Amino acid sequence: MKSVSTMQRDIQRRDPTPTITKIVLAAVFVLSLVVIVTGVMGMRTYSASGFSSESGYKAVYKLSGDVQQAWKTLQPQLDALGKEQRATVDEAAHRMLVAAWEGQNAGGGQAAENAIAQANDNQNGATLYKLLYTTYLAGGPKVGASARKELAAIPTSRQDAFRAELLACIADENAPLPAEAEKAAGSLTGENRQAMLMQIFFISNGSADSKITDNVNAFKKGVRDKAVQLDAFRTIADGKISWIQQLVISSSRTVILVGILAALDALLLIVLMMADKSWIVDFKWLLILLIVDFLLLFQLMPLVYMMIKAFTPDGEFSLETFKRLYTYPLNLDALKNTLIAATATMILGTLLAFPLAWLVGRTNLYGKKFFRSLFVLTYMVPPYVGAMAWLRLLNPNVGTINQWLRVLFNLSDAPGPLNVYTLPGMIWVLTSFYYPYAFITISRAMEKMDPSLEEASRISGASPVKTLFTVTLPMMMPSLISGALLVFVCAASCYGIPSIIGSPGRVHTVTTRIVEYVGQSQQSLNDATGMAVFLMVIALVILFLSDVVLAKRQYITVSGKSVRPAIVDLRKWRIPLTVLVSLFAVIVILIPFATILTTSFKIDVGKSMFSKTNFTTVNWSDIFGRQETINCLKNSLIFGIITATIGIVVACVMSYLLQRTRVRGRKIPDFLITLGSGTPSVVIALGLIMTMKGNFGINIYNTAYIMIVAYLIKYLMMGMRTVVSAMSQIHSSLEECSQIAGASWTRTMFKITGPLIFPSIAAGWFLIFIPSFYELSMTSLLYSSTTKTIGYQLYENWTFTSQPQSCAMAFGILLIVVALNFVLNRLTKGEFSI
Amino acid sequence: MATVTIKHVTKAFGDNVVLKEFNETFQEGEFITLLGPSGCGKTTMLRIIAGFEKPTTGELYIDNQLVSGGKTFIPPEKRSVGMVFQSYAVWPHMNVFDNVAYPLTIKKVPKAEIKKSVEHVLEIVHLSQYAERFPNQLSGGQQQRVALARALVAAPKLLLLDEPLSNLDAKLRESMRFEIKEIQRQLGITVVYVTHDQTEAMAMSDRIFLINRGVVQQCGSPEEIYNQPANQFVADFLGKVDFFKGESANGRIVFPKMGGQSFAYDGPRTGKVEVAVRPENLYFTEDGVLEGTLEAQYYLGDVDDCRVRVGETLVRVIANGHEYKNLKNGQTVRLGVRDFMVFEDDGSLEQMLQIQT
Repeated sequence: MKSVSTMQRDIQRRDPTPTITKIVLAAVFVLSLVVIVTGVMGMRTYSASGFSSESGYKAVYKLSGDVQQAWKTLQPQLDALGKEQRATVDEAAHRMLVAAWEGQNAGGGQAAENAIAQANDNQNGATLYKLLYTTYLAGGPKVGASARKELAAIPTSRQDAFRAELLACIADENAPLPAEAEKAAGSLTGENRQAMLMQIFFISNGSADSKITDNVNAFKKGVRDKAVQLDAFRTIADGKISWIQQLVISSSRTVILVGILAALDALLLIVLMMADKSWIVDFKWLLILLIVDFLLLFQLMPLVYMMIKAFTPDGEFSLETFKRLYTYPLNLDALKNTLIAATATMILGTLLAFPLAWLVGRTNLYGKKFFRSLFVLTYMVPPYVGAMAWLRLLNPNVGTINQWLRVLFNLSDAPGPLNVYTLPGMIWVLTSFYYPYAFITISRAMEKMDPSLEEASRISGASPVKTLFTVTLPMMMPSLISGALLVFVCAASCYGIPSIIGSPGRVHTVTTRIVEYVGQSQQSLNDATGMAVFLMVIALVILFLSDVVLAKRQYITVSGKSVRPAIVDLRKWRIPLTVLVSLFAVIVILIPFATILTTSFKIDVGKSMFSKTNFTTVNWSDIFGRQETINCLKNSLIFGIITATIGIVVACVMSYLLQRTRVRGRKIPDFLITLGSGTPSVVIALGLIMTMKGNFGINIYNTAYIMIVAYLIKYLMMGMRTVVSAMSQIHSSLEECSQIAGASWTRTMFKITGPLIFPSIAAGWFLIFIPSFYELSMTSLLYSSTTKTIGYQLYENWTFTSQPQSCAMAFGILLIVVALNFVLNRLTKGEFSI
Repeated sequence: MATVTIKHVTKAFGDNVVLKEFNETFQEGEFITLLGPSGCGKTTMLRIIAGFEKPTTGELYIDNQLVSGGKTFIPPEKRSVGMVFQSYAVWPHMNVFDNVAYPLTIKKVPKAEIKKSVEHVLEIVHLSQYAERFPNQLSGGQQQRVALARALVAAPKLLLLDEPLSNLDAKLRESMRFEIKEIQRQLGITVVYVTHDQTEAMAMSDRIFLINRGVVQQCGSPEEIYNQPANQFVADFLGKVDFFKGESANGRIVFPKMGGQSFAYDGPRTGKVEVAVRPENLYFTEDGVLEGTLEAQYYLGDVDDCRVRVGETLVRVIANGHEYKNLKNGQTVRLGVRDFMVFEDDGSLEQMLQIQT
């Protein structure tokens, strides 16, 4: 047995050496500061250099490498020439260089000549030819395409001999031209002949040619100013530029960004370690840092930047943007509409959701399981599809419901009586698509509520109705409020519905205004920011309310026993209420979907599908036969799959950190992810547009990356919550038991935890995939011609092309979503479906 | 104070019959315990009395008024009974006072009167100083007493308790046991108490209904049930008991697996029998009827738990230390039998044990 003091010593020995950790951390911090400073210096050098774009420096660097390479092949051939020949070639080179330079660089010829003379005086042949090489490629005579073809045909074995002959021809005009050069230079004499031969010499360098030409083109683009080109030439000729310099100068912003991130990481690590009073580097912290870095970069920075930008439109603090924005009547309207629509949707949606949740969850309503899945299904339908359907139904002129109503009540043929292109119309459509959010939140809470709480009220003498109001409703209040707030945020930040219904009816909302502002001018981008800040503040306040304030009032009502909800007997109300709920389902779900389907088979949208002349399948074959549609579909699938896969990996890591470790700082990424999902889509997209076009060292504008990043930020939480809640259901003793049995941590994860939470992982994957697949709000700001998605294609089609075709496409999307839902259901053995 | 009359009550959930033919009358002021393993149907019976379940067949009367049966069904809120739930079901959005006052508020009792009644009942459960607290500021035991106060405040004729103590720790459970019994005695109220804990049932009840698989196995006072179990299940469920197979003939029972040893029996049963012996009814004595070898002794504080090998059988003996303190393991000892029970060996023990596990 060990004595106590030995054990203490053991413990001390196992303690890491805190000094080393401290030194390393300090070193990392200092190093990152150095990196930042280097970046700043690079930026200074860069702006002093006069290059007009960062790619200039990159091109110069690349070209300098090419030139060095080319010189290596030129040198032995020059050496092979006789002394006299060589002097002539040098002479010719000199002359051509001056000529080329004067053409290139009007007014700078003298300086260039001086430089060359200096190089010549120093007998620095290499520099001379390097200069010549660059200038020639940048501005020299062009070899014709057919001559180029002939040159390309020269076998590698003859290349060196051919080039030596060319040099000899430059030195001696009477020397016979190689046959391959005849076409390009045969008719030329004197200086022109020499220039052409020199050019042929340079481009006859086989495979290196295309790369050099590319770099020359980049160089030309990057360095447009002739005076700056001179500097660039000399930099190349002198071989002055090292890869570190190049990296620092041409990527100074990225360098600064990396430095800042590294410094923040080091600081965060130091804070975590000090709080932990332990100087062991936990690998879990590295995981956290990785996720946090990603979110800092792509989520927090854009939001903060937007905030700053909104208050400092021209670099100085001013409320000018807001003043301009909110004195413009259209914007004021948009603001008012957004608030009215969101509030009305919230109230209506909750008023619908609560009784529905209660009827379906707590009474003996007929077919309640069916209704439940039906209402939840709406949650998975892209809102814009609903908007299209309602537009078809409530169009004041040709809307199907309007037509029925006119016939039914014998009204005149005047438009109406209902008009979807109004604020109430929009509120109705918003409600019919966002009430499921409240429904899900409320019915989940209702299912979890301990039924004895209600029974206790009954036995105390309260009737079922009285119990509903004195116990059930107050107990549900936190969930009710958070469901309502969720509906509010969703309605306020929705783009699809207002853009399809609001815009034609001139009912503007904040989101449609933002999208309109983007891409007009710099000032309009500022205006978009101002509007976005408004939306963001609303979302943040609500996020705070529901997550911080309400969470504290959340009653723990889950009992230990498996909950069997007390079912209220509706008695004589059972049939009337079932009829009422069915009617609601028919109006809100069946009719809109049916409309989409029937419209997709129509030629004239105003007439019935069943009249003989009006039925067609052309819409379907047209839209799905089009390459563009297929491309968009492919894009959507790829983006969705990538987003969901990355997302679910992060979700699993996060659930592990949150549920199975007590590692300090695990709440930081959790908080950021929650924040991201609470931020309105349009705001996320706008922030990314403003910060990801290279001005902060990252340029992913107009690429697929920017879309995947946006989807990740918005939908990561859906996956994370699913996996976290699954993991919280699995008692850690199951894992501990496996480890006691001798299984390693990895084996335990794969054999015990993995299989147990697999259904949730699959569900989480789909929960990220499905909304990413048909996303519209962010996509409409971020797409480019090559990254268009099916959602946006549908929107464009609807707005600009054909409504029946769009309906075919919309129904196609619906089918895909339903099919995926089916797959999910099968994959998780019925445990999950949406 | 109420009587409860149960006539031919059965209950089935779909095909699953959880209660078979319940017939009984609970008298005024009686403390009745429904005891049995989990899933035996005792809670269902309680919920039928409360009105949360309708009996499939049969009738239920409270104070001779039909409350469930035929087309009549009086909902729980009109039955004027008090009930304490296993999970307490104390409403988290109301403070202690409001929780307790709720039944009176529903009855629209004048405020002053409510205050008086609530204060009185809080005093009974020793919670007077907690009236303003919210449930999340109370311990489990205190919440339990809030639930009890709420059940008592409207002075119900009948109090139903559904495993009210099962979520409390052992010490608290013991003290609450006596408090509940004391309150019942003070108020003279009829109580129906559901539990799976036999000690609880023994300590509190006037009559115990021991239920298994939806059938009442035996009903009687704790002493009756303990000392004269109606069948092997009852004998086994209450207290500790060991069963030995034997043959009864000519006034003796022979145990083949105890090396053919035997002891006298003057009861009516003959042929194959099951003999149930409670270990505390065996004792060490020099002129004992069974001979065996002492194999092990476990010190339990108040008593000792010993194992004696008799023939092939290991017999458990709970004895006071002073009876045998000179005995050593491996020594030959003789055992006396104070009391034992004889059942027919019809194989039902195996069946019963299967139900148990």
